[in-house]
Amino acid sequence: MDFSISDEQKMFRETIYRYVRAHISPLCLQADLEGAFSREIWRNMREVGLLGLPFPEKYGGSGADFVTCCLAGEAVGHAGIDGGHALAWGAHTYLCGANIMQHGTEEQKEKYLPKLSTGEWIGCMALTEPGCGSDAAAIITTAVRKEDRYILNGSKTFITNAPLAQVFVVFATMDKSQKTRGITAFIVEKDYPGLSTGKEMHKMGCRCSTTSEVFLEDCEVPLENCLGGECNGWAIALGGVEWDRSVLLAPSLGGLMFGLEYCARYANERYAFNQPIRDFQSIQNRIADMRVFQEISRLAIYRIAAAKDSGQFLNPLQAAVNKMYIGDKGFETASNAVDIFGGYGYIHDYGVEAGLRDAKLGQLGGGTSDIMRMIVARAMLK
Amino acid sequence: MDYKLTHQQKEIIAVMGRVASDAIVPVDFDNCVTADIKAGHLRKNMKIMAESGFMELWLGTDMIAACSVGEVFAEICPSTFFSAVSSAFPCTFINSFGTSAQQSKYLNLLLDADHIGALAVTEPDAGSDFSGLSTVAEPREDKWVINGMKAFVTNAWTADVFLVLARTQGNTGVDSEFTFFIMDRNTEGLRIDEPVGTLGLKGALVSTVRFSDCIVGHGAILGHETGNGYGQYSKVLPYIQLAVSAYALGVGTACMAEATSYAKDRKVSGKPIGLIENVGSKLALMYTHNDLGRMMTHRAAWSVMQNEQDAGILSSCAKLFTSESVNKIADMAMQIYAGHGYAGGSKIESLYRDARFPEIAYGTSEILRAAIAKDSLDRFKP
Repeated sequence: MDFSISDEQKMFRETIYRYVRAHISPLCLQADLEGAFSREIWRNMREVGLLGLPFPEKYGGSGADFVTCCLAGEAVGHAGIDGGHALAWGAHTYLCGANIMQHGTEEQKEKYLPKLSTGEWIGCMALTEPGCGSDAAAIITTAVRKEDRYILNGSKTFITNAPLAQVFVVFATMDKSQKTRGITAFIVEKDYPGLSTGKEMHKMGCRCSTTSEVFLEDCEVPLENCLGGECNGWAIALGGVEWDRSVLLAPSLGGLMFGLEYCARYANERYAFNQPIRDFQSIQNRIADMRVFQEISRLAIYRIAAAKDSGQFLNPLQAAVNKMYIGDKGFETASNAVDIFGGYGYIHDYGVEAGLRDAKLGQLGGGTSDIMRMIVARAMLK
Repeated sequence: MDYKLTHQQKEIIAVMGRVASDAIVPVDFDNCVTADIKAGHLRKNMKIMAESGFMELWLGTDMIAACSVGEVFAEICPSTFFSAVSSAFPCTFINSFGTSAQQSKYLNLLLDADHIGALAVTEPDAGSDFSGLSTVAEPREDKWVINGMKAFVTNAWTADVFLVLARTQGNTGVDSEFTFFIMDRNTEGLRIDEPVGTLGLKGALVSTVRFSDCIVGHGAILGHETGNGYGQYSKVLPYIQLAVSAYALGVGTACMAEATSYAKDRKVSGKPIGLIENVGSKLALMYTHNDLGRMMTHRAAWSVMQNEQDAGILSSCAKLFTSESVNKIADMAMQIYAGHGYAGGSKIESLYRDARFPEIAYGTSEILRAAIAKDSLDRFKP
């Protein structure tokens, strides 16, 4: 057992941290207030190699492994990025890009990964539908194979990046009666006939990421844009979980570190009844819980990342535990941060209320905590 | 980064696991009539455990193995584990700080469980707060005279060797006020009360020990120099907290196993109750808390072995998390068992009472939170 990281990894993390602190974080609070995706932040993310991080170098990426990707995410969060830009990055690089990287043909990788690496094209992944979220296997978007193209019909919702995206990884079923065995993944481009996106949705948190519905009305997709082979879509969707439960959670860990430092500093300098509020146990308790949660989140996230890097299959129980615990405890912790700041915690300027609104997503996006508990319970009863 | 146990560790755990399940004699401590009967069982079982190397594990060379083994024993019999490891604690002290004469005299006998050890620190009026300790050792010619009393001393009823923390200086600061004395059972003036009845952990015999003009030589001072008691205690405390974490994990795992088994067999309308969300979600939370707690404990154990600066804090994090978790787990397990759990004599009822202990011993949750918070608050000043 070894929990250390190499000097090289430390340096990498430090580089990302410093860069984001200098060039990205100062823009985030205002961007969140406006609820606007910032092209400048996006450019800066490209500058420091975040957008193509896991892609092989020949496609413009850095070839980073899971642990390295987690370190980057942690650094970005620790440096104070807002939830929205972190989410936009995650959906682009991991939910869209990594799927093409892992399942695409050489032609598909050559066509899409370089432009995703530079962020010239923004990517998204469309699985959830108005009628099914948790029950993802029940999707009703259809794909019919014609002579020279697929025709897709249906709609998706809550798709991060959709309003801005050029590249859409879309899941549709080629045979509803086959249930999960009919689901197929496709790469759909923005200007293919029949694809459109809905009005941008106004969200509780992660407000700088753009979110909308995606409509497929006799959408024409070239035959060569089937991703990973017909009827392999379910395995591809499940495969995405390994990124979801490690790399995509890393910015939250970083955010915890940022929050702990911020709250500790405030507790040292804010006075009440002639003493710093750090002297009150009610404040100490919250600070202590943040630290314990931070240690545990770190262990949980890197356990999966380290296992993936050493070639092990994802442990679905560990994945579900990660998501459930980090999501639920994360929201509670974000609320504790607001408590520490008192009235200031309720005001946008101080950052913690945005953190609480952002944190709510952890309990419901990419798998709700209730579903995670169901997954674990079912596995235990086998 | 690597979360896997080494081959050697797996071997040790497997061997000790067999000792735990096959070699030690199961004892129904809840229904043993006298302390002497309990003590007889404990001595025999501790001897068997010692023969397999159990005591040595707590000297610190491989704390990950120690915690993993501890968990296995605690799962099978919490009382036997806690009594045995309580006898090992004096070994850790003597191994770390004893003179070679002290090590020759005491270590092998304790490691072989030919002698039983007991750590005597807490007093009726001083638990969390050392400054309230009133057992005093006064110099008289070339001897020391000890007066006072200790409370809740595990193993006292049968112990051959006591490690007693006494005040050797008044009010000069905790760093120099206290000294550990190694005392033999047959020291004149040393009296051991009958064990007190406890809520749970009924096989761990705890007694008050009284010192009335007990005379010991200079050779009884642990490490031969006075005033080092607090520092020695602080150094060994992480090992003790790891042992308590292992205890919590063992009891938590036992509760989870019982509850899962019950939830599989018990049916409503032909369906195992574990598949009903309100029951299944509890099982999932048990799994989550045990899983994350184990990781945190191993991380802390590794930190202690690596002599990391954060080792003490991480051990406190592990103890805090696992001890609070086991209470939640036991409570959920009791709820799943419902009437069958509440009725006297069920295994789950016994575990429920055993579970209450870890939050109290060797650092209450409240004290641990204060210490963990102080670490962050001191680290992050404005």
